[in-house]
Amino acid sequence: MALAREAPDRCPMQISFTPEFAARMRVDLGARGLLDMDHGAGLNIARGGEHNPHGGGNTYELEQAIDSDLILTSVGWANSYYQGHGTYTDEWGVTWQEHPYETPFGTGHYTEMVGFPLAQDDAIDVYVPPDPNRPELYVDSERVIREFGDEYWIVGVTVTTIWETAWALRGYQRLLMDLVADPDLADRILEIPFRYHLAAAERLAGMSIDMLWTGDDIGSQKGMLMSPATWRRFLKPRMAELVGRVKAIRPDLLVAYHTDGDVREVIGDLIEIGIDVLNPVQPACMDPAELKRDFGDRLRFWGSIDEQKTLPFGTPDDVAAEIRLRLQTIGRGGGLILGPTHHVQLDTPLENFWAMVDTIRQTPY
Amino acid sequence: MVDLSALTAAVEAGDRATAVAVTQEAIDAALPLQEILDAMTTAMTEVGRKFACNEGVYVPEMLISAHAMKEASALLEPLLAASGLRPEHTAVIGTVRGDLHDIGKNLVGMMLKGANFEVIDLGTNVAPEAFAEAAREHDADVVGISALLTTTMIGMKDAVVAIRSVDPGAKILVGGAPVTDEYAAEIGADGFARDAATAANVARELLAAAG
Repeated sequence: MALAREAPDRCPMQISFTPEFAARMRVDLGARGLLDMDHGAGLNIARGGEHNPHGGGNTYELEQAIDSDLILTSVGWANSYYQGHGTYTDEWGVTWQEHPYETPFGTGHYTEMVGFPLAQDDAIDVYVPPDPNRPELYVDSERVIREFGDEYWIVGVTVTTIWETAWALRGYQRLLMDLVADPDLADRILEIPFRYHLAAAERLAGMSIDMLWTGDDIGSQKGMLMSPATWRRFLKPRMAELVGRVKAIRPDLLVAYHTDGDVREVIGDLIEIGIDVLNPVQPACMDPAELKRDFGDRLRFWGSIDEQKTLPFGTPDDVAAEIRLRLQTIGRGGGLILGPTHHVQLDTPLENFWAMVDTIRQTPY
Repeated sequence: MVDLSALTAAVEAGDRATAVAVTQEAIDAALPLQEILDAMTTAMTEVGRKFACNEGVYVPEMLISAHAMKEASALLEPLLAASGLRPEHTAVIGTVRGDLHDIGKNLVGMMLKGANFEVIDLGTNVAPEAFAEAAREHDADVVGISALLTTTMIGMKDAVVAIRSVDPGAKILVGGAPVTDEYAAEIGADGFARDAATAANVARELLAAAG
């Protein structure tokens, strides 16, 4: 198995999709005879037929049809993305608004946050978060483990673990400023989603998932969003506690950390607190080959296929070439799950998508 | 004797209260307004330099410095206007149509203000016609266009065309995570900046070159 860092026959693959790309892909799979359209295959009934990029409620025919190796099942705030249409408020009190965008392949919709329940300081100490211990939150994960656990690598998803949920509650620019202008207040806010996702992570670790996916976007295109010192003060100790507690429950559990952008400055810290897998390795920000050279003996990687240029704007040959390059560099000797660095977006041509899937599946490793 | 280096230090440190207090003292002591303003712009230039060179200034630090400058300069603005001291250059900025992301744009606005530009911020989801109209109305020297998404950066080209048709002399600057030098050249922009600090420098260089 690739994550044992030995070389397998084909590189493991994981791909997620925005709802509109999933819908487009579903039609294409049906046309190729790879999906039974008559029985509603690939439709997430809990979401009115629309795919959940983070997993919860999906039926996974799409992932099976493309021979993906990982199945995602999500608990937590990340499920609020793409949760509804128009304007809606999630159970944390964050207000979202659907926002259309045009691509050559149709109109997509992003859900953007427009209302922040902790925008006022005096809302913080009286705020009551949702309860992470409700049994119904885990029913879907139980189903996924039961149905797919034998043949697939099951990933319990608790991303947006601390920082991202916290700024969704407070406001992005506000919380960035709070970190340096009012650290105690920032701590009180960060603690809220941390306690929730910690409980969810421990619960999932107690079920037989193979990997836990955690993380927050702390990097920007060039350099970190916040200073390493700030990250070490506010996020590192909390993540260390989370990793420690889930591994106490399951010593063999792998823990992946998601962050976009350039986070080279804290990769050593991530390894130190027990992170096993770095995701998604945005190649326009960090060189995958260099990461392998510098950290490959202590870290596995998940992602690395460029979505800023190659997938949306390249040719199928560009896509295939990038995959082969990754296999030779960041994937050399194992330790890589290949996939795009974000959900496949509607602006990715289907030819490029299939070039990605086919090249991964057909290239001996 | 009011020491303006304390104002510079306060803005650099993001110490809003001290920045405001020293500014008020300086005004009360009838120090030349331009000197007080310069003490702030010096601070923001240094903050920007550190941000661009990765010397301990990240987005949070930039935000609090900009906030300190904003509050301190609010005391100066009516006095500057009354004495006829206006910023030499005007910049119109916005995030492109279909895109709601604004923190990069906001930082560019802060850095341009910090460099003593007058800044008209059109917000997010700005149509090409709106960029053009604002450029014309404000006789903009610089127009800055931001996009975070591959799905929206395509619209930057339309914005460039619209702006050129009404304000041919404006220098158009583009930025945002998926944007590159090559893309900027491809769509006919005058410049590209990879971060907010660089944006202010590029804007100044483009205007200096124009003479």
